Amino acid sequence: MRRLFRGRYVVPSVLAGAVGLVGLLMFAPGAARAAGTGASTGAAGMRSYATAGTPASGATPTPCTLATATPTTSGSPISYTSLPASCIPPGEQLFAANCSSCHGTDAAGSALAPNLRGVGAGTVDFWVSTGRMPLADSSIQATRKPPRFDRLQTLEIAAYVQSLAPGGVQIPSVDLQQASVSNGGRLFTLNCAACHTITGAGDALYKGAYAPSLHQATVQQIVEAIRSGPGNMPRFGPGNITNQEAADIAAYVHGVIQHPSDPGGFGLGGVGPVAEGFVGLLFGVGLLMLVSFWIGERS
Amino acid sequence: MIDKSLRWLDDRLGVSKGGRTFLDKIFPDHWSFMLGEIALYSFVVLLATGVFLSLYYVPSAHEVIYHGSYAPLRGQRVSEAYASTVGLSFDVKSGLLMRQAHHWAADVFLGSIAVHMARVFFTGAFRKPRELNWIVGITMLILGIANGFLGYSLPDDLVSGTGIRIAYSIIESIPLVGSYLAFFVFGGNYPGNGVIIPRFFVLHVLIVPAVIVGLLAAHLGLLVKQKHTQFPGKGKTERNVVGSPMFPTFMAKTTGFMFMVTAALFLLGGFAQINPIWQFGQYQPYQISYAVQPDWYMGWLDGALRVMPSWEWVGWGHTWPLEVFIPAVLFPGIVFNLFIVWPFLEAKFTKDTAYHHLLDRPRDRPKRTSAGAAVLMLLFMLFCASSTDVLANYFHISLNTVLVTFRFLVVLMPIATFFVTHAICIEMQRAEGVGRRKRAVVVTRSATGEFATYDADVRPGDGHEELEAIPVPTYIDLTPRHLATGPGVRRVMR
Repeated sequence: MRRLFRGRYVVPSVLAGAVGLVGLLMFAPGAARAAGTGASTGAAGMRSYATAGTPASGATPTPCTLATATPTTSGSPISYTSLPASCIPPGEQLFAANCSSCHGTDAAGSALAPNLRGVGAGTVDFWVSTGRMPLADSSIQATRKPPRFDRLQTLEIAAYVQSLAPGGVQIPSVDLQQASVSNGGRLFTLNCAACHTITGAGDALYKGAYAPSLHQATVQQIVEAIRSGPGNMPRFGPGNITNQEAADIAAYVHGVIQHPSDPGGFGLGGVGPVAEGFVGLLFGVGLLMLVSFWIGERS
Repeated sequence: MIDKSLRWLDDRLGVSKGGRTFLDKIFPDHWSFMLGEIALYSFVVLLATGVFLSLYYVPSAHEVIYHGSYAPLRGQRVSEAYASTVGLSFDVKSGLLMRQAHHWAADVFLGSIAVHMARVFFTGAFRKPRELNWIVGITMLILGIANGFLGYSLPDDLVSGTGIRIAYSIIESIPLVGSYLAFFVFGGNYPGNGVIIPRFFVLHVLIVPAVIVGLLAAHLGLLVKQKHTQFPGKGKTERNVVGSPMFPTFMAKTTGFMFMVTAALFLLGGFAQINPIWQFGQYQPYQISYAVQPDWYMGWLDGALRVMPSWEWVGWGHTWPLEVFIPAVLFPGIVFNLFIVWPFLEAKFTKDTAYHHLLDRPRDRPKRTSAGAAVLMLLFMLFCASSTDVLANYFHISLNTVLVTFRFLVVLMPIATFFVTHAICIEMQRAEGVGRRKRAVVVTRSATGEFATYDADVRPGDGHEELEAIPVPTYIDLTPRHLATGPGVRRVMR
């Protein structure tokens, strides 16, 4: 063993190790997630499909706080948040300051950005809470990034946009206790895996667009995305996917994809056998070649 | 007692004579001659773990309700094949370790075959009289790739099912007979009536391994019969073999190596997750996941399919799917046939019909070396092209850009590799003192504190002395001390 550490083996072993480390990092889960210029034309496809619980435009002035924005659970796996009217004025200010330069002061859209009237509070909540809005840059697809607004500000903007026109996607509250992970898995494979991949790692689509990784999405955002169909994603209405099924999918993404019971050692990024082949050749064959180099003659 | 029983056996079978010869068999010691052994011992691990897996795997597409310990799957209708693979992963003690070690062993098996084949190719070990053994080796490589694909498909998970679907299309793309052949293999239109899983199973665990074992015996038998090649060096000629005897040196070394290969494969199996089928779910023909690639040894075929422009020709009342046939049938056919006929092509073009037991240095055969490097580069580029989507997603480039780039790279990189390798070989031939160990520089300090340097004396085995044929006895003999290239090294006549 001592011979292994003599000078002439150090360089090849260190090299092999370094290449291996870089490879592992490349394929490590989440490496791809971090960066990105992405981009976006997504909002064009957002139209209202249903009026599942229009928010109350306040009779009694309830203060706009997170507490008052909490929904009342109603036995169904998905219930909707009603935002008090007191959220609208601060939302209008935030909208004017941050969104109106592209979407217009009345949210009716412009040459740069789509009309937001009638898209619903849930759609706005998805785009703003995932950090996709305001846009980082106007390339092909909006990129997920740390949100600019806190939860309350996000809800205020959503409330303002909702107040402009009725309908659209509402902000859901999902009760995972009533959802079935197993059924969610079946539905996920059927409806989502073709783009987001079966491990939820995401993958490239046509011409620079991509299906994002699902590992950071919150349960609420998952349901909002299903209902509003952001960007290239299809919009699934209650006729395609019922509220129960949407909750099942969210439970699967949250419970299995984001928190997998994952025995078998280091996962290699969930990007398929290319990473496995890389490890097999480098660590398997490479290591054994070093061993044969060690025990064989070298002249 | 042992002596007595052995004598009893010898009186009847005469084993001592052959046994003596076998135990005295000489194996050259160069490290690169052990690459094939990695494949051999990976194959042993494959057989052992495969037997374990076959005890629990159920080769049936019959649907059952899953009731095992993997919660997200409970209550779903899955095939028995899938359910039993998940079951042996989670509900059988050390089952997952065995399955993962089996899969890693397959990856390493084919990887070491590739490396071993590269060694044989670049050193010219395939030349007369070893062309037959080269062909046997290529056949085992093809069978190994095929069996890897079959085994990869057995769990009936979403990712491998996609591969079977592609295989069906590839068979279908063969002109004239394609659709009949596909019906024959799958027992009807895709996905058949669930016959494909049991058929793949029989092929994977019985027929192909049996053929590989037979070919392996031929491969090793020919090696023993023809004796091993060796690199030129002190006392090594076309007429002798210099190395360690089978017993005790080589046997100890190779047994140790077997344990190390096994250890490495089980380390991978224990620490690195491979093919987590429980994440993928059961295959349904109408479902698909993205980011699907085959195992690495099939990757170049997948890459060829991906970079191929969509050429399709309609004529004579048929659609001719050239975009599938050319990359998936014609191209691998050409590659493997080129491998097989290479020794004969080379002999024809170099007009070299002599026996060769001494190996070439790759740089001394620049054309062969650069041709080999170009083919390797082509296959590597195609392998990379099989992950176009993953690369595009990771580097945030357009998928289309990546694909078009690979179309150029697949053509240009091998050509560039050929010329660059050729230039390097020529340069290395011309360089002075190449192939000889650098002479040590001795630094001395005089009594007055002055430093001086000079080259050390040439040491034996440094490659500085002239090679000369040394007459050796026809029977095994300990090499005279002054001729020994290492402790315990012997030489025999061919």
